[in-house]
Amino acid sequence: MKMKIAYLAVAWSIGSVVAMDVSAATEPAAETAGARARRAAQAQQHWAYVPVSKPAIPQVENAQWVRTPIDALILAQLEAKGIKPSADADRATLIRRVTLDTWGLIPTPEEVDAFVNDQSPNAYEKLVDRLLESPRYGERWGRRWLDLTRHADSDGYNADGTRPNAWRYRDYVIQAFNSDKPYNVFIKEQLAGDELWPERKDALVATGFLRNFPDEINARDLNLKKQEIANDLTDTVSEVFLGTTANCAQCHNHKFDKFSQKEYYQLQAFFSNASFRDDVLPLSGKALEDYQQRQAKWEEATRDVRAQIDTILKPYIEKAEADRLLGFVPETRVSITKPEAERSAYDKWIHHRNLWTMSGRTRNAANNLRRDDKATYAKYEKLTAELKTFDGLKPVDPGFLSTAFELGKESPPTHVLFKGIYDKPEEEVQPGFPSMLTNEQPVIVPTANSSGRRTALANWIANSDNPLTARVFVNRVWNQYFGRGLVNTVGDFGKMGQKPVNPALLDYLADTFVKGDWSVKNLQREILLSSVYRQASDHRGDTLAVDPKNTLLYAFPRQRMDAEQIRDSILYASGLLEEKIGGPSVFPPIPANFDNRNTWKVSDRLADQHRRSAYVFIRRNTPYALLDTFDLANPNLVHGTREVTTTAPQALALANSELVLEWSKALAGRVIREAGDSDLARIERLYKIALGRAPDTVEKASLLAFLDRQEKVLVAQREAGKPIQTPVGAKDTPAVVATVEGLYKTLYGRTPDKFERLALVSHLDSQQDKFAKAEPGDDSEGAIPFKSDLKGQSRSSRERNAAFVDAVHAVVNSNEFSYRF
Amino acid sequence: MSNKNSRRNFLVNASYGLGGLAVTGMLPGGGLISAVSAADFVDPLAPKKPHHAAKATSVIWLHMSGAPSTLDLFDYKPELVRLHGQPLPDSFAKNLKTATDGGVGALYATKRTWKQHGESGAWFSDLVPNLSKYADDIAFLKGSKTEGSTHVIASLKLHTSGLVPGRPALGSWIQYGLGAGNPDLPAFVVLQNGTSSGGGGRNQVIWSSGFLPAVYQGTGFRQGDSPILHLDRPAAVSDAGQRQTLDLLADLNRHHASNYPADTELEARLRSYDLAYRMQKSAPEAVDLSKETDATKALYGLDDESTAVYGTNLLRARRLVERGVRFVHVISGSPDDSLPDWDAHREIERNHGVMAKLVDKPIAGLLADLKSRGLLESTLIVWTSEFGRTPYGQTGDGRDHNPWGFTSWIAGGGVKAGITHGATDEIGLRAAEGIVDTYDLQATILHLLGLDHRQLTFEYQGRQERATTVFGDVVKEVVG
Repeated sequence: MKMKIAYLAVAWSIGSVVAMDVSAATEPAAETAGARARRAAQAQQHWAYVPVSKPAIPQVENAQWVRTPIDALILAQLEAKGIKPSADADRATLIRRVTLDTWGLIPTPEEVDAFVNDQSPNAYEKLVDRLLESPRYGERWGRRWLDLTRHADSDGYNADGTRPNAWRYRDYVIQAFNSDKPYNVFIKEQLAGDELWPERKDALVATGFLRNFPDEINARDLNLKKQEIANDLTDTVSEVFLGTTANCAQCHNHKFDKFSQKEYYQLQAFFSNASFRDDVLPLSGKALEDYQQRQAKWEEATRDVRAQIDTILKPYIEKAEADRLLGFVPETRVSITKPEAERSAYDKWIHHRNLWTMSGRTRNAANNLRRDDKATYAKYEKLTAELKTFDGLKPVDPGFLSTAFELGKESPPTHVLFKGIYDKPEEEVQPGFPSMLTNEQPVIVPTANSSGRRTALANWIANSDNPLTARVFVNRVWNQYFGRGLVNTVGDFGKMGQKPVNPALLDYLADTFVKGDWSVKNLQREILLSSVYRQASDHRGDTLAVDPKNTLLYAFPRQRMDAEQIRDSILYASGLLEEKIGGPSVFPPIPANFDNRNTWKVSDRLADQHRRSAYVFIRRNTPYALLDTFDLANPNLVHGTREVTTTAPQALALANSELVLEWSKALAGRVIREAGDSDLARIERLYKIALGRAPDTVEKASLLAFLDRQEKVLVAQREAGKPIQTPVGAKDTPAVVATVEGLYKTLYGRTPDKFERLALVSHLDSQQDKFAKAEPGDDSEGAIPFKSDLKGQSRSSRERNAAFVDAVHAVVNSNEFSYRF
Repeated sequence: MSNKNSRRNFLVNASYGLGGLAVTGMLPGGGLISAVSAADFVDPLAPKKPHHAAKATSVIWLHMSGAPSTLDLFDYKPELVRLHGQPLPDSFAKNLKTATDGGVGALYATKRTWKQHGESGAWFSDLVPNLSKYADDIAFLKGSKTEGSTHVIASLKLHTSGLVPGRPALGSWIQYGLGAGNPDLPAFVVLQNGTSSGGGGRNQVIWSSGFLPAVYQGTGFRQGDSPILHLDRPAAVSDAGQRQTLDLLADLNRHHASNYPADTELEARLRSYDLAYRMQKSAPEAVDLSKETDATKALYGLDDESTAVYGTNLLRARRLVERGVRFVHVISGSPDDSLPDWDAHREIERNHGVMAKLVDKPIAGLLADLKSRGLLESTLIVWTSEFGRTPYGQTGDGRDHNPWGFTSWIAGGGVKAGITHGATDEIGLRAAEGIVDTYDLQATILHLLGLDHRQLTFEYQGRQERATTVFGDVVKEVVG
């Protein structure tokens, strides 16, 4: 009971710091050297802080089950409990599992057949290699890294404005996974790319990791804002890379981990000079030179007209800036208004933050001008029109990239804060590493215009001696494959976290990972090739008493697909997925009755609406509803594990969304196109595409009976003059493609893409449906231009086809489709 | 696998089930469970026992978005009237962290007419003539205070106890603590009106489940017949057709599940479709006002254009709590484009004239209606905002944000009726006595619902998190 109270007493957390009336006496934050040494000694005993050591690979009885040392380490634990591992999953199940796990997509029927029929002894090894080589791999694994980084395409808070450069960081991450960037390099680029490789644009983009914090762009207290950003960076970096809940020590010494409040601020000091900008040209080399030349020409040609515009706007801009200044709290104003020569490193940060977030001031100034002075505004408009005439000289707008950077070598001071309150500073501290992890002191070497602090931190985190870095990462990978980490608290390796269920395996993986030059793909390959991963997920009645939760992994844990896997796999099965890699985020359709429509302008191009979910725009306050329903990561947090909830709104979304139904219609169309008229052939093809297997006799009977029943309902529906659905693309045969393309060329002078073609065919289908209404039950006797091309393609009744759409929809909604086993 | 048979079996099975709106396997922050066996099965919305006897079972939270001036509604300050036009005295201004466009203006007296009402003698201005009739049902918290000078920060603190996004809203904590009162409806519903997205946060960020599982997040009910997204069948799907498709789905799922006899998550997903099918009827029914009498509608001001939209939301709120919804979060928005919301930096008379009219009659109607149905005893009404407004003026005829002292009130479920707790200083700038911070308000609400804010915890990132962080004391003086 006492323990419980003590536990609750530290159940604090305030997420931020505010000025509060605190009259209590100041707590001593300084620690004696003796106390520090004592704490360091105690910390040595915690498993996660001792160096990684290569474990001995145990001898096991069932040696033929062992394919990799991973298997021996798992099997030793199973044998100790008298549990047998499960046999390998059948090949169809295995390829569906491993394709979903590495790509986030289901395999095609052809891929399934090829693997099932591959007689070579290394069939599975070849499959794994093929999967890891595909760019689809980075789209899946990159997205899961983004979960950890608070990545979003918007600021958050109330205004939640767009961050137009955020997609570049997303692309950087996807590319890093695809190119198998060594994890230690990946860490350094994200924490200090601007200091280490200032000439490399991709290294600047990598610091988007730091830039991703949610931000209140209208913050009135920039001193508080600076502290909030520093807290975010400290907490995020500790949790993501070190699995350490440092934020517990923001207000007091960590009660469970040997992490003092002073050490928290020492860690924070690495970030005290980190600033950000969103206006760096994303070009380099020749492209940059060309751009600058063209830009210079344009500037030269427009010098005069721009000067005139500036003169007109100047008083209004100055007024807007003065007004904005008054909106800040007095302390903030002091830093902003100091003459440049007198600005401290701290003032510089505040001053820059004001400039950095002051967007749209020209637009506001022009609006105010229009309001106050019509005559001058007319002149202004004339000038801007004149300026526009020079647009032909302008280089193509390359956009910008966002990056962390620093405003000089000198860092603002960092203080221990009384109870974490930002304007209650105590002792000043210097950058330092947590003593529970190392006795090492940071070696900080400033660069030309940066403190070098983040480089020192990155070097320490990415060092092969760091006891946490590799352990935390391999555990995240394991967690994603098995739905549970070896340490199940993936973001907390401290004393309050769970102990590793298999410490030797964790160390084996960490050791192999580091010694394998931090290759993420090699780590994953070894896991995927293990017998543990290949096990069947079938029910095991014999183990419920010994290990009901399957903690020791005697069977493969089946998992519900995550949000992206569900959306992308349905799109893929229906042939609608647009596989373009990278670029600005896209806005797929939202339901007609969606409320916040102004925050979500649906992408114009149909192809963009069908991109993979990794490219869907992330607006913090308006997550894409269809994905959000299925437990999408919360972009305001370091999101280490996707929850799995099972809810009625999910069922509503999959069953009732017009969008998902469109996908089912396209899948039905594909099946009809590929399987022809026979109900049975269609059912078999559907199962092969959606589930990678043939239906059994019970399922066939069930579906055939359904088609009969449903057809009757639909006949009645049509006779009552109500619409029914039509499969989309069922007639997308070469002949129809030719007809439609001809039509398109005549109308628009170009070839349609697949989405435009399907839209047109679908439209013609509905026209046909209208024409045919006079003769219900009759099939394709409509008066549409390419009627003759359809002969022999589909003799099923329209109602039978509509019933088949419903059957497809049921399969798409089924448990088997939504899980990987 | 006869369809009829399996359907009947299904219903039999379902009736033994937990009946929750949702069923889950895993929890965040590293996850607890891989639901391989029945022992792990957790229905996150199954009703749970409170820590102590509850006085209220539901909450209707009336959020006045944009910050009304309670100095013009409830907090009568003769001294402010006396000092009107004078600069803010130094004794009050000391240590005041202002962030005011145009600086601190002169003190600005209320222009309203004031009267005491009821046995309690509580002061009301003439902006709220209907509400004043319920003086003896209300407990005023006149020493309310908070932190943060922008709407969104203070609003985050009010609803989630955090100043940066990421913490769960109080409604999410309550769902987590008590489960759902009606499995066919979301337990935490958000109702809002207006088109502007002005101060106070009409955004999901204040009804997010934060680090709690997503199943606990608030569900925004839309206006009109179909309150939830994806509630309506697709246009070309009939009820009969959908029923047959769902029966086929259940058949396929059950056939498949026979290979996984211990897998309750698969079973739960199967059941979720039947629940979804029921929700297609239960959710529209819950917001369908056609069976309400004209007298009831008039009570909420549905017969008057200026109050109809907000009144509709409050009448819906009553219907929702009647049906067991735990937490209804009603956010007052602007009735038209002439105002942002309560955020009266200028023209406070016009602004508050419109906004007070918008809410006064409907709120009075809600109290009357709940009372007459015996629901006020079990329904806690909370009237509050992200902060109040300053006693000094701004831009000549407005008031600035005031996080230092303002009035909130609570009524109904377990609240001591007809009292005033706490006070601001003589001019209404700062809370001076009986200070109630947002943490205390939250702790008090939890207490009335039978939950101890120190015991209601969720492990996240190695910490036992609470709704109110490390702060919060129950305001015992207002608990009946």
